[in-house]
Amino acid sequence: MDSFLTSRVVTDILGGLTNGAIYGLVALSLVLVWRATRVLNFAQGAMPMFATYLGMGLLSYHWPYWVCVGVCLVAAFAIGALTERVLVRPLYGKPEINPIVVMVGYLIILEAFAAAIWSTTPRSLPAPFSPIDWRLAGQPVGLSPFSLFEVVTALVVMGAIVTLFRFTRLGLQLRASALAPEVSRLLGVRVGRMLTLGWMLSTAVGAVTAILVASNFFTGLTPQLMDGIFAFGFIAAAVGGLDSPVGAVASGIALGVVLQFVGDFLNSNAIILVALGILIVSLMVRPNGLLTRSTARRV
Amino acid sequence: MITVERLTVAFGAVYALREVSLRAETGKITAVLGANGAGKTTLLRTISGLVAPKSGTVSLDERVLTRRKPEEIARLGVGHVPEGRGVIAEFTVEENLRLGAIVARVPLADGLDEQYEAFPVLGQRRKQHAAKLSGGERQMLAMARALIARPSVLLLDEPSLGLAPLVTAQLMATVAELCATRDLTVVLVEQNASSALRIAHHAVVLNVGTVVADAPAAEVAADERLRQYYLGMVE
Amino acid sequence: MSGTARRGALALVGLAVAVALALVLAPRASDAIAAAAVATVTAVAAFVGSLPAVRAEHPALARAALTVVLIDVVVFATAFLSVPTDFNLATGAGMAIVLLGLSFLTGASGQISIGNGAFMGVGAFATAIWANHHATTPIVVTLLIAVVVGALFGLLLGLPATRLRGPYLAGMTLAFAVAFPAILSSFSSWTGGDSGLQLPNPVTAPHWLVGLFRAGTPTLTTDTLWLTDIVMVVTGVAFFFMANLFASRTGRAMRLVRDNDVAAELVGVPLPRTRVIAFVVSAAYAALGGALWTLLNNSVSPATYGFALSITILAVIVIGGIGTISGAIIGGIVYAYSTNVIAWFVARTGLDPQGNLASQLNGIIFGALLIVTMLFSPMGIAGTVRHLRQRRSQRERG
Repeated sequence: MDSFLTSRVVTDILGGLTNGAIYGLVALSLVLVWRATRVLNFAQGAMPMFATYLGMGLLSYHWPYWVCVGVCLVAAFAIGALTERVLVRPLYGKPEINPIVVMVGYLIILEAFAAAIWSTTPRSLPAPFSPIDWRLAGQPVGLSPFSLFEVVTALVVMGAIVTLFRFTRLGLQLRASALAPEVSRLLGVRVGRMLTLGWMLSTAVGAVTAILVASNFFTGLTPQLMDGIFAFGFIAAAVGGLDSPVGAVASGIALGVVLQFVGDFLNSNAIILVALGILIVSLMVRPNGLLTRSTARRV
Repeated sequence: MITVERLTVAFGAVYALREVSLRAETGKITAVLGANGAGKTTLLRTISGLVAPKSGTVSLDERVLTRRKPEEIARLGVGHVPEGRGVIAEFTVEENLRLGAIVARVPLADGLDEQYEAFPVLGQRRKQHAAKLSGGERQMLAMARALIARPSVLLLDEPSLGLAPLVTAQLMATVAELCATRDLTVVLVEQNASSALRIAHHAVVLNVGTVVADAPAAEVAADERLRQYYLGMVE
Repeated sequence: MSGTARRGALALVGLAVAVALALVLAPRASDAIAAAAVATVTAVAAFVGSLPAVRAEHPALARAALTVVLIDVVVFATAFLSVPTDFNLATGAGMAIVLLGLSFLTGASGQISIGNGAFMGVGAFATAIWANHHATTPIVVTLLIAVVVGALFGLLLGLPATRLRGPYLAGMTLAFAVAFPAILSSFSSWTGGDSGLQLPNPVTAPHWLVGLFRAGTPTLTTDTLWLTDIVMVVTGVAFFFMANLFASRTGRAMRLVRDNDVAAELVGVPLPRTRVIAFVVSAAYAALGGALWTLLNNSVSPATYGFALSITILAVIVIGGIGTISGAIIGGIVYAYSTNVIAWFVARTGLDPQGNLASQLNGIIFGALLIVTMLFSPMGIAGTVRHLRQRRSQRERG
């Protein structure tokens, strides 16, 4: 293999990891909500987008960058909690299309409000680290301080979520509320709060994702920021299995790498086509996701 | 002590319980007997707050439980082992126990040690998924999970369901021992009247949502009419 | 049989009045004859369709008669409306077909698609591509080709639907809607890339019709009217087929799948096939609607068939009443007039029409209506009206 090809492959893998980390985060946020409340949240991109506008808007009032990030997270927690309490709670036990439609309506309204308040003109966010690739022997290596930051952030967030779920009392209650709400209540778990918390966590993970995406020089922050990313995140979550946080993250990263190669060796239009093909094929092979143990549906 | 007063529960137009009153004394086992559909499970679910009654009250000692949420009632010391045990199959044995200990006031490690001592088989299988347990082991896990929170009341819904006679006998012995040593108020719902009456102090017989007998267990066990018509116990 | 006699007499009187009006009002003898013919057909259809015996024993015939009456009335009306109104109504009618397909998918199988805007685009582009390669194909054939292409796309995406639960299918159709613009640009040599396609020649009325009939106003040409009425007739036929499908054995089996798929499987309804059929039908209907839009606009642009259209489709059918036939008609009208109503509202409230708020009002209103409908009246306008009528008739009886 000649060195040009080698460097191209390495660059693609590194670039793919960066994108994949983003897809994995979106997939993770979808899984958090799905496991807790059996709602596929189509506003999963729009809610954090709104939080990001609220927090990062303070940059124009000369608030420090990291304080703005903190405000974004707080706003995300608030939006997540409000959404679950007001919009989602009346939908439990209703036919499964009802929450789908409501969340699509919510997506429309959030994007419209964001555009009405902040306009559709992209707003550039400063990247906290340089987005210019490191160079090796004069060649860009496909990895910049900022993209490294993206990957590290994604890994930290994923690690934090897994730790929370696996090893803490709170995580135990979160999982139990999702799996067996009635039994959990009999054991004194405040299931209602756990469901709200699931939405809050999910929106916060989304806000981290939205900030990373919007910090990209080419996109900037727009009301439709997350539409396309959401589609990839959903594909990752569906391929990995909506019930499996680890599966969602893993397939998000894998999807990012595969699609980077597709974009590089075929063309950019083929990316979403291949992603759609992967989704269709994987759903035909394993309707509940490739990385979940197949369980019979509860009747 | 659990006091149920004139409790009426309806699902739409169907009455599950009509004006049911009963008392479960502290430190005693009160058996609630009756055929399928007599309202036994509904009674327990109403006590623990899963079902809202149409009228009537449930109290724990002096405190009224009616209209409280199930999680609050659990936190007041009512442990409910539901029908079918409600063991979370996706959790390991230990995770199930940890979940039960959420509302406990004793340190988790002590609680776990105590339960593993009382149910050694659970200790051996602590890292296994509950899905792998046998019926009897699941029942033990469900009981241990309720007990780890140190409840003052234990509601048991059909613990013998699906268990072999020998296992049932063992289980009943455990319940009797727990009740005596911990001063527990036990409400034991059973279709298997004979094994329940063997350990119960008091028995209440329900038929289609109404109380047809409320007497010491020995009396109920001796009543030929009750045995034949309501308890399906034929020599 | 006195009821029949009375209906017959009524129909005759109506017919006489319509013919007389046509003879008096029509500027030319040939127009009058055409109008009288339409009136006669309408009267006969109304008479047949209203007979209790027909309604009880031949419901399909009764539905056919109702379709003829409705088509006649609409076609008659289009001759007297302005060009923009006709165009608006025809656009709404095309949308109503799409909505009907989605309504069927949900009403009959409990599934939902967020990608029907893309299926609509499939039909729209199939029409334009075909017409550019075979300019002489009759319209009906072109429309059928668009329907078949739409159905094929539906089958491709619907295959996994055999085993999918609702949320997965919804997500997959969303991914399709998001991917559709990329699909179009991948095949830009066929689809014309960003600029889209023009039809080689606009739809024109056949010569015999021009000889027979001339539109009343100088702006409303016979060609315009012909185009509008083709859309109306196709819409009528599409609704007729769907009404029959809703009432058929297949339709009943599908409703069972929606209400309780486990029970449906127990009584022998083949779940996978039923789900796929419902999905394919909805895709084919969407493609037909898109094909009509291409004819109406004489061109097709990829910008029309973005993600936003898919969401709008979902919004208007939910507001109209998902799972019902009348909901699709209401949704079509809502779609056709929403822009006008919002413009009127903006003018009344003195908002800056170029401002951010005014330009987003559409989304805000649709989004809010969607949520409110689903939370408080999930069957939309159609369901609410039906519910109110049932309540009233119950009160009158009791």
